[in-house]
Amino acid sequence: MGDELRRRDLIGITAGAAAAAQLGATPTHPRFFTPEEYAVVDDLSEMIIPADEKSGGAKAARVVDYIDVMLAEAFEQEERDDFRAGLKRFVSTPAAEREALLGRASQNEKRPRTPEEKFFRLLKQYTVTGYYTSKIGIHDDLDYKGNVYQQGQYAGYLPEKHS
Amino acid sequence: MFDDTHAPNLNADLKQTYDAVIVGSGAAGGMAAHVLTSHGLKVLLLEAGKKLNIEKELKSMQWPYDHPRRGRMPSSDHALTLNEYTIRPQPYAKGMRYKHVFSYVQGWSGSDYSKNIVVDERDHPTTGTPYAWVRARLLGGKTAIWGRLALRLSDYDFKAASRDGYGENWPISYADLAPYYDRVDTYLGISGLKEGLPQLPDSLFQRPNRFTKSEIMFRESLQKMNRVITPYRAGVTTDGLKHNKYRSKCFGRGACSRRVGGCDIHAAFDSPTGLIYPAMDTGNLTLRTNATVYEVTVDKDTGKASGVSFIDTETGKTYQAKAKAVVLGASTLESARLMLLSKSTQHPNGIGNSSGHVGHNFCEHMMGPSVTGIVKDLIGKPHTLDDGRPGGFYLPRFRNLAEKNPNFLRGYGFEGEGGMGIFPGHAMRTPGFGKEFKKTVRDYAGAFISMGGFGEVLPRYDNYVEIDPDTKDRWGVPVLRFHITFGENEKKMAQDMADQAQEMFENAGIQVIGVDRKMLTPGWSIHELGTTRMGSDPKKSVLNQFQQSHDVKNLFVVDGSSHVNASCQNPTWTIMALAWRSCDYLADQLKKGEV
Repeated sequence: MGDELRRRDLIGITAGAAAAAQLGATPTHPRFFTPEEYAVVDDLSEMIIPADEKSGGAKAARVVDYIDVMLAEAFEQEERDDFRAGLKRFVSTPAAEREALLGRASQNEKRPRTPEEKFFRLLKQYTVTGYYTSKIGIHDDLDYKGNVYQQGQYAGYLPEKHS
Repeated sequence: MFDDTHAPNLNADLKQTYDAVIVGSGAAGGMAAHVLTSHGLKVLLLEAGKKLNIEKELKSMQWPYDHPRRGRMPSSDHALTLNEYTIRPQPYAKGMRYKHVFSYVQGWSGSDYSKNIVVDERDHPTTGTPYAWVRARLLGGKTAIWGRLALRLSDYDFKAASRDGYGENWPISYADLAPYYDRVDTYLGISGLKEGLPQLPDSLFQRPNRFTKSEIMFRESLQKMNRVITPYRAGVTTDGLKHNKYRSKCFGRGACSRRVGGCDIHAAFDSPTGLIYPAMDTGNLTLRTNATVYEVTVDKDTGKASGVSFIDTETGKTYQAKAKAVVLGASTLESARLMLLSKSTQHPNGIGNSSGHVGHNFCEHMMGPSVTGIVKDLIGKPHTLDDGRPGGFYLPRFRNLAEKNPNFLRGYGFEGEGGMGIFPGHAMRTPGFGKEFKKTVRDYAGAFISMGGFGEVLPRYDNYVEIDPDTKDRWGVPVLRFHITFGENEKKMAQDMADQAQEMFENAGIQVIGVDRKMLTPGWSIHELGTTRMGSDPKKSVLNQFQQSHDVKNLFVVDGSSHVNASCQNPTWTIMALAWRSCDYLADQLKKGEV
């Protein structure tokens, strides 16, 4: 009983559980990534969109869980294979050197050629989508004001001769 | 709340002869149902799709993070891309492994909310030249997701041939239709601002949506060019409608601009709550869904229409419905398809087609040319509520009004918006990563403004559709083969659209970051028109001014296929005004026993 309780407590205090609840179908362990890959993607996503004085970053927004779900459910096996192949280089690179590698991989964003460059583009796309559709991205970072019931006048301005 | 008081009747009585049978329940068919039942006529309305629990489909206020795929449809479903429309031969779904293949609109954000509304290309193949055909088969048709821009046409359109010598005039003028535009405005609700423009007549507006800072600035700058942008004239009730208990007024939630479309409180017009439920409440309307009509049947003695044959899309069983008049509102291309399919000894080329013009004189709006820019003053400013509205602005036609353009006929307008949306579309165009990247995305989020053009595509006899002799849809009904391409006038117009868009932004001090100059695939605007055009000469047209077949007096076609030209202004409001006028006439004729 002690172990059972302890496990639940542990799950309860991890940010992953909150994100899993948010994502609905997401289990508390990754569906696609290995634990090692999961940790590396978590770190890399935070490098792309880090926490700053304004808002939390990709880690807080659980972007890694979003990417895990999207890859687990991807229609083409190729999408999973491509991501994993690009990620491999980062997993095998010591943690302290990963940001420098990411920097080199980002040099040719518009027309990525090498596997690292292509991976950067893919990772950035996933991170941007995951982050800016999250609570933290929409509300904390972008201060998005919409999706509310407006009472009285609508927001905005009328042209001068009409206002 | 799911409306179960207006359930369709799958066992609709088919023994009786109805006053009218209507095919299609979108803007046109819905309006026909409203008008004919309000005259006390007994009407059967047939819709090929189902009645969906639409509020549950749309979930207009759901946040992206409350959806497992952030609003996207399952990855096993596919939305056709511009590239695929260009390089893949039709039928587009052929050879694809995806579970469902949809038109391009399902590639927009929030596609999970409209996946049951639009048709699967697998079930509904087409052949011929590239054509992006967006179809919705459900009660209400495309009004479930329409873009809501509700514009009037003017005599610049109805009498265009007299002005520039191209094509044919409409058999009506603005004065004939104006009272019906007024009725549509009042019955369904429209928001906008009076501008007093001859080419874009004002409606009876409810309160307008408002402008963002960048739009106000752009409007002021355009005054120097004697042009204007006006708040999006939305087919949305912003003050509410006392006579309609199924529709709420708009609360500026902005939900409609974040996805393909749709409004779960029905502030935006849709045919079911705006027209069909009130028509059912009269007790005069029988609604039969899942009913794909494949033939207009003919009385052998008189040559007149006797009703329609339809197939139940679920059971595959076929049925006949009898009526004194047949009213087609199946959508532009579907109504033409149905007429071409309805061959008989009396009508060997298809019903109502003695002219040979059914399927021809297709026209629409060309899209593609567009501009995006940044308003520098807004970079890094606190974000405001900008997307709480059904649309941004509309920039009306300014070409070939007083002056004559040396390069092309007719004109174009722009739809656009400035300000902040829910998703920063510029993030992937912002280079790099890290803190600086994140700050740049944030600082620029409210600073963008963009607009895209809608240009009039000239009607041409050789832009046409016909029945494909080999390919059939899922229910065994032969499909359409397209012969539709853009011509020189469209190509020259597209260049001017892009040039002018860029110039107008630059004149306003907007930093232009992108100009698209290429035309998109025909069909992209979802404004397909023509193919059974009206006219006074039965040799050159299919319908008279009341959308009544020249050949078959009790056959009416009340959708966009009747339009003589496309104008550059969005067609839905004109479709409904025309349908109202024609059905008033039909009701009168039925009462006099003259159809």
